Amino acid sequence: MDKPSAQATSTIDPTLLARVAKGDHQAFSQLYDHSSTLLFTLAVRILGNHEEAAELLQDVYLEVWRKVSRYDVGRGTPVAWLVTLTKSRAIDRLRARGARGYQATSSPEAGTAAQVTDIGPSPFETQADQELRTAVGAAVAGLPQAQQQAIELAYYEGLSHTEIAARLNQPLGTVKTRIKLGMSKLREVLQQWRITGDLQ
Amino acid sequence: MTHEELEASVPLYAAGALDRTERQALEAHLLSGCSACHAALKDYQSIAALLPLSLSPIKPPQALKSKIMAERGPAPVPVELPPKVEPVRQSLEPGEWMDHLFPPVAPAKSSSLPWALGIAAVLVVAVVGLLVWNISTQRSIDTSNINQLEASLKDKSAALTAAQREAKEQAKTLDELRDELQRRTHEITVAKEQLALRETELEEAHTQLTQRNGSRTIATPQDELATLLRSPNIKAVSLAGSDVAKQAVGFLLYDSRTQNAWLYSVNLPECPAGTTYQLWAVHDKPVGIGTFRMNAGETARLLVKKLPTFNEAKNFAVSLEPSGGSPQPTGQIYLLSRS
Repeated sequence: MDKPSAQATSTIDPTLLARVAKGDHQAFSQLYDHSSTLLFTLAVRILGNHEEAAELLQDVYLEVWRKVSRYDVGRGTPVAWLVTLTKSRAIDRLRARGARGYQATSSPEAGTAAQVTDIGPSPFETQADQELRTAVGAAVAGLPQAQQQAIELAYYEGLSHTEIAARLNQPLGTVKTRIKLGMSKLREVLQQWRITGDLQ
Repeated sequence: MTHEELEASVPLYAAGALDRTERQALEAHLLSGCSACHAALKDYQSIAALLPLSLSPIKPPQALKSKIMAERGPAPVPVELPPKVEPVRQSLEPGEWMDHLFPPVAPAKSSSLPWALGIAAVLVVAVVGLLVWNISTQRSIDTSNINQLEASLKDKSAALTAAQREAKEQAKTLDELRDELQRRTHEITVAKEQLALRETELEEAHTQLTQRNGSRTIATPQDELATLLRSPNIKAVSLAGSDVAKQAVGFLLYDSRTQNAWLYSVNLPECPAGTTYQLWAVHDKPVGIGTFRMNAGETARLLVKKLPTFNEAKNFAVSLEPSGGSPQPTGQIYLLSRS
């Protein structure tokens, strides 16, 4: 494993991606170290399965390796790019699985001896990462339950507002409003946190 | 969708909650260059990207990194594959905005090959060729990327040119329609003027005819009266003779199309010298409509006058007035409508 740098996951420097684009192996290794826990956590949340999440992560990083030159800093941060790519591919799998009639285990996986995953922050996590993690956790927890639920159904289960409305048996307008309000509140709280370091 | 609707859909897009068509609509809008929506999306996506931080972190398996590093290295990279080998996906996924301008080259394949074997084989083959391969592969990737960028740019330029051409054509069509409309409006104005002129001429002709024919007044207007009586626009008011002219009778016909009132009076006594009959329309007070004379030997007389306010009149009357008519009735009433 490469020597970790002090770079925080949340603030991966776009120049690191530029180095990866030039075929810099060490840069790719660093990129993995700083993002893999976040991406794996996301993949497990969406797919509900560690093995499939690991398989997905492999696909995602190989895609990153191949497509990194297409990353456009003007459209989002490196983390936003990696997260959206991972989420997108995970939801693809989720849908493909649905189409095949695959039944996911409804309960979270019990750890087995074969599994080498563990829970806890990445060793590469900096203090800035921890603070951000706390801030985001608090911001999400601060949302009304209904808004949080609607956002999570869209974000982690890939459901459209129409599907969410059907699932929750709520009017479509209500669901849209919940998501909009929730996202706006998150934006407001996290921007405030970035400026003042305080959570509202 | 309006811009407001599109802008309002940005947070939903970032959360991945839009339906396919809405997603495509917003993406098309972003591609059209709306900087406000672009900035809002970047903002919301950076927030959406943070959401997984609220989950309890789970470390990936330790072996995963080396597996990825190995496969990413000298493993077969599908540089030579044609760019369209990826199966068509359902749609652009939420967040694809960041890279969807450039369609993916090929899907990553999660191989189930035994990795130890793969690595060993690769080591044997690749130690010598790694450097050369790396350089050439990278160049190939770069070239491939550039080609895709160029192709994408060409496509967009072509689309833009087509859109501009279409916009020009539409603008031209609009101009033509506007010209046509102006032309038609002008034609209508001219036609109206001509119509008014013809009506005036017709009225003058009637007047002249009436004056010229003298005692045979009824002969020609009779035909016109016949025509008039067949018209569906006609309203008729009958006037009865007063005590001073019990034999007299009058019919007032009104043609709402031409706004002409026709008074046909019969058996009115001859006008003494220096007098004339005057027709009145009684609104709140009597308004003089026109004058006519009954000369010796005449039994009938026709008076034609423009009377746009016919429908507002309550009554009609004919009185004997000094020659030239009066502003208000001063003489005896000879004919009076039945109210």
